[in-house]
Amino acid sequence: MSTAMNFSSKSFKPRPPDKGAFPLDHFGECSAFKERFMECLRDSGYESGACRQRAMAYLECRMERQLMANEPLEKLGFKDLIDEKSEAKPEKL
Amino acid sequence: MEPVRGRVIRVTFNADVHSSIQWHFQPQQSEIFVVPGETALAFYKAKNPTDKPIIGISTYNVIPFEAGQYFNKIQCFCFEEQRLNPQEEVDMPVFFYIDPEFVEDPKMAKVDLITLSYTFFEAKEGQKLALPGYQ
Repeated sequence: MSTAMNFSSKSFKPRPPDKGAFPLDHFGECSAFKERFMECLRDSGYESGACRQRAMAYLECRMERQLMANEPLEKLGFKDLIDEKSEAKPEKL
Repeated sequence: MEPVRGRVIRVTFNADVHSSIQWHFQPQQSEIFVVPGETALAFYKAKNPTDKPIIGISTYNVIPFEAGQYFNKIQCFCFEEQRLNPQEEVDMPVFFYIDPEFVEDPKMAKVDLITLSYTFFEAKEGQKLALPGYQ
């Protein structure tokens, strides 16, 4: 139910997604990554925060197969996971 | 953008198909718990059970209506035509976040459930969805 009084400066209109539409994964190239992510969701009681590694892995799979425009993972909200990864990386000789 | 840890929101998923389209379309999870400011991934799936390719196009809705302005889709499968070949089944991801400004809005103080609802229609050739504010 909406009223005529709307003091909020924002109003809802259906908006297209920021980065556009995902191409369809017709060949299921990233299905395994999706399955791992869904398994994590089920095991964690559907807590999104618990499954971000696997969400990131899924999106990386898409990017590697041109099923998603390449975007630095830090810009997709995974900065903390990337920082962890690089801190844990041992020095390569 | 930083996650707002103290404010857990339950996001539930709804899937509809208009009678014009013979796809089977459903969410792969009925709910997911998120916090504002943290990106989240969720999946739908769609199947074309017929023997002819079908092109679908979807739109979405957010309930409650006023929460929609805080619901940001980074990427999804909506607003563009999607073609499924006969018997084909695909995963359809939605990658989104709830804007941290959500927690500053007094009208949202009691909102701890947001429902995301997608509806697929059959797309006719060259059809564009007429949506307010989207050309």
